[in-house]
Amino acid sequence: MNLGTRKLLDRSFTALGVGSIVIMGMMLLVVLMPILSNGITANVFRGTIEHRKLLYNEFRRGDHAELQRQIAESDAARRKAYAMMAAFEAEMKLMSEEKHAGYQEKYDQVKSAMKALLGPVPGEELPELTRFKYGQTRWSKAEERLHELLYEKQWDYSNPDVEAKEYDVSRAASFQGTSLVKLFPYVESNIDRMLLPEWTVYWGFITDSSIDSHMFGGIWPEIQGTIFLAVGAMLFAFPLGVIAAVYFTEYAREGFFNSLLRSANSTLAGVPSIVFGLFGLAFFINTLKVSESKSVLAGSLTLAIMILPTIIRSAEEAILSVPKTYREASLSLGSSKWNTIVTVILPAALPGILTGGVISLGRAAGETAPIIFTAAVSVGSAIGLADVFSSPTPALSWNIYNLASEHEAASEIRHVQYGMVLALVTIVLMLNLSAIILRARISKKLKG
Amino acid sequence: MKKQWGRALSVIALVVIVANGRAEAKNGIVLDGSTTVGPIAKSFAAFFMNKYHVPVTVSESGSGNGAKSLINKSCDIASMSRSMKPQELAAAKTKGVNPVSSVVALDGLAIVVHPSNPVKTLTIAQVADIYKGRVTNWRQVGGPNFPIVVIQRESNSGTQESFKDLVVGKETPVVGSAETQASNGAVKSRVSLTRGAIGFLGLGFADASVKKVAVNGIYPTPLTVKNGSYPLSRPLFFVTDGQPSGFVKQFVELPKSADGKKIIKELGFVNKY
Amino acid sequence: MNGDSPATAGRSSAFIVSARKRKLQKITRMAGESTLFLIAAVVAIIVLFIFYFVARDAVPFFQIRGFSEFFTKTDWYPADDPPRFGALAIIYGSLMVTAGSALIAVPMGVSAAICLSDVIPFSVRQYVKPIIEMLAAIPSVAFGFFALVILAPLLQNFGGPILMWTWWLIASPFLLLAVIVVSELLSTSIQDDSRRRVVQRILVAVFGLLSLLFLFFVGKHLQEIQILTGTNALNVSIILSFMALPTIVSVSEDALQAVGRDLREGSYALGATRAETIVKIILPAASSGILAAVILGIMRSLGETMVVWMASGNSSHVPEPWYNYLESVRTLTATIAGDMGEADQVTGSARFHVLFAMGLLLLVISFISNFISERIVVRQRKVLSGQ
Repeated sequence: MNLGTRKLLDRSFTALGVGSIVIMGMMLLVVLMPILSNGITANVFRGTIEHRKLLYNEFRRGDHAELQRQIAESDAARRKAYAMMAAFEAEMKLMSEEKHAGYQEKYDQVKSAMKALLGPVPGEELPELTRFKYGQTRWSKAEERLHELLYEKQWDYSNPDVEAKEYDVSRAASFQGTSLVKLFPYVESNIDRMLLPEWTVYWGFITDSSIDSHMFGGIWPEIQGTIFLAVGAMLFAFPLGVIAAVYFTEYAREGFFNSLLRSANSTLAGVPSIVFGLFGLAFFINTLKVSESKSVLAGSLTLAIMILPTIIRSAEEAILSVPKTYREASLSLGSSKWNTIVTVILPAALPGILTGGVISLGRAAGETAPIIFTAAVSVGSAIGLADVFSSPTPALSWNIYNLASEHEAASEIRHVQYGMVLALVTIVLMLNLSAIILRARISKKLKG
Repeated sequence: MKKQWGRALSVIALVVIVANGRAEAKNGIVLDGSTTVGPIAKSFAAFFMNKYHVPVTVSESGSGNGAKSLINKSCDIASMSRSMKPQELAAAKTKGVNPVSSVVALDGLAIVVHPSNPVKTLTIAQVADIYKGRVTNWRQVGGPNFPIVVIQRESNSGTQESFKDLVVGKETPVVGSAETQASNGAVKSRVSLTRGAIGFLGLGFADASVKKVAVNGIYPTPLTVKNGSYPLSRPLFFVTDGQPSGFVKQFVELPKSADGKKIIKELGFVNKY
Repeated sequence: MNGDSPATAGRSSAFIVSARKRKLQKITRMAGESTLFLIAAVVAIIVLFIFYFVARDAVPFFQIRGFSEFFTKTDWYPADDPPRFGALAIIYGSLMVTAGSALIAVPMGVSAAICLSDVIPFSVRQYVKPIIEMLAAIPSVAFGFFALVILAPLLQNFGGPILMWTWWLIASPFLLLAVIVVSELLSTSIQDDSRRRVVQRILVAVFGLLSLLFLFFVGKHLQEIQILTGTNALNVSIILSFMALPTIVSVSEDALQAVGRDLREGSYALGATRAETIVKIILPAASSGILAAVILGIMRSLGETMVVWMASGNSSHVPEPWYNYLESVRTLTATIAGDMGEADQVTGSARFHVLFAMGLLLLVISFISNFISERIVVRQRKVLSGQ
């Protein structure tokens, strides 16, 4: 091969490596961007008057007088629409039996679309479920519902050999010649006044409990559960891991036992997370009976076992990276070995040990599989600290799964799911970022 | 010395906290079981917590799991979309648990397809053939020339078991290529996103994003389910250990109260009482 | 708590210490050390416990049902009457998504590791490494959510075009390179310089045209593919590969770093380009370490639960044909997570124990591969230090 081709191959080789790294970076962006942009909408969005009503009724938040003024304003706009509906209902009664039946079904659709958009029709019995007590709280959803009110989705089945095409039919057209025709242009042009959308920052999403199984409200019980589980796991794993690391680095002599312990550590690191879940169920709950059934305690213990190898490894590395001179100086000053470890080596290694601890904390917070059988429930209120020994808890990681693939209205509450994913990813990445920064500072310090 | 005292105190404090936690363990209501009953259970839970300020936790891990939890005495109420099996009853007996079922609501099993699918009605035999893998293209049942994507539920699902009993039959298994989803909601979203998909779910879940198909010519509505003309319907249960008392009793009897009936109706289920 | 080392023991003897006190010191030291040993041994005990408790609930399954059905049949109907526990399709599904993710992650991971250790300057590396760490830190359920909510609909609605564009992006540079190299290799025998150049150009044109046709043909074929369901083996493989990448990159980078500078410099001195040095000298020297990295990465894919549970479609069958990544599959981990709900934990039925049997299978696989990769790393370290 001539030199040119060799150079070309060399370049393409470099390009392949750089390309792989770029793809990894892009993947990170591709995953994080939608999570960030959609997750933010759980906190910041154009909220309607319905959202403010909900906040006031459920949490007593907001300015009462201002709210009353806005409700009066929106009611004034809505009243006309309801009057049109009432007029049409009266008109239907005068129709012939056949004509009445023809309109009834279509009118019912209009009515339920109106309810979905603006909440219950005044004068009718108030529904029991919170999700039906209010109209659309979010303007983006309200626009979708408005479209459903104005147009009926139909499918063209005329050609049985091909897939049906979707098309919209104006509802106004099907009420041609009746008084209801006026309703549709009226609602379309006055929807702003009926719902009074304004930009809302809803930090309560993080601190509120959920209402009506996550249809409204926030995710505090999940966040709290995640914190309990992760911190609980650290309480068990961190001291154990650091002591084990001290043994491995300072006391262990090369030999059969030591290499066995080390293989045990790396075996533990390689165990699939779902197997930890099985073990937690079989050991902590069914055998030790640390709690009657799922509990934060059982989940924390299971997670602790999972993160133990990571903590041991990083603590070992941190201890080994303490310069030999520290140790020698301390020993030559006459302090005992144990004293040297506690007063000289561990403090010097502490930032490194903490780095590993922080990363493990993030891992414990993000893991799902070990807590499925040991700690997580899909609905529950935030639990008190005294309940951690006996009560299960909702947790971000499990509830993301639950809301995304088990909730009855999974596609209605995408913003809640995204908000949860964002919260979890933020917690985990923040922990990791602080670990990275911590480590950078250590290496700077060591370099001098 | 001072340090040691501190340590001793903290140990005592820990023990006290543990003891407290144990003492306070059982003052709420714990529900476990079917995802089909899930919406009712969760809405009842919200209603109940609001009204009586009693904590209620709901796990939706499948009817089988609900029965298991009840037998293990780790839940107060098992919500189930099928009745207890003989093996479960036997296991309950050996553990000294006496399961008492009460009907929550009735539920129709809606057969749903993607809205673009022109097929309007199927017979039970046709649905069974699809799930047995004998029919693989919509053309074979009067639809467009498009492969069928079969969607079923996880094997611990009561809905799956009811469907198997009512439609496919006990002897023949469902075709292996059928996709498995964890809940009614998941089936709905898979079917609404997938051309050529067919699935089954509780009537309360079937909204406008999927197309309900008439079975043997009868369209599933609350009315046809209640009067029994729709062939695929079943009762949903709350199962307790012995006759319930206290808050558990109040919870179990919610379906008979006006508020409970209203919630059930709003969720799209059919009232029994 | 006063463990004394030999160094301090020497110091103590300088002072007058009674024999009794020294004995006491020795005892406390022994006691302290054995306490530490016991705490360190907790890890080993945990591993033993995991094996014991998973096996304890797995063995009854094999006692009830025997081995052959589990490993050789593909009918998975645990709830039917009579139940059938053929897990072959599920094991196959696990292997399939693992192989798929390895197919993507191994070339990418190894080339990224090479790039990190041999190409990129140190200052840039400091900023690249956090990217990899962040990728490793993202919780699996977030990846699963992404796969289910974003990637699956994309694949379902635009599957054909996506496959075509990916094919073009990946295949065209490689084909172009191959065309140039092949035409040059074919023309090396021609002595005359100008004639050779002409022949070479003709060859490039001919091969280029042929490969362009090939690209178009395959691309067209791919574009026409209708992906029936977005929650399939391909989706899961892509996501799993990105979860396995950080492991592969960091472990193989360590292996590459372990190959000393002298080998590299010797090769450069002989006139080799960087690519030639890496491919012919460094990669063979680091191959066992890279193999260990690959094994660890694959284990991450095999043991992952949430992504496969949410986005694999969970249908327990061997796809038709067997290499069809566009069909749904079901894996061991997802089966454990999803099926655990069934009741018979109390009665201890096969239904419950079969899930532990699957857990045991996973555990054994992970144990063996861990053992192998550890051996490999130890051996490589010995070989390199021997040089």
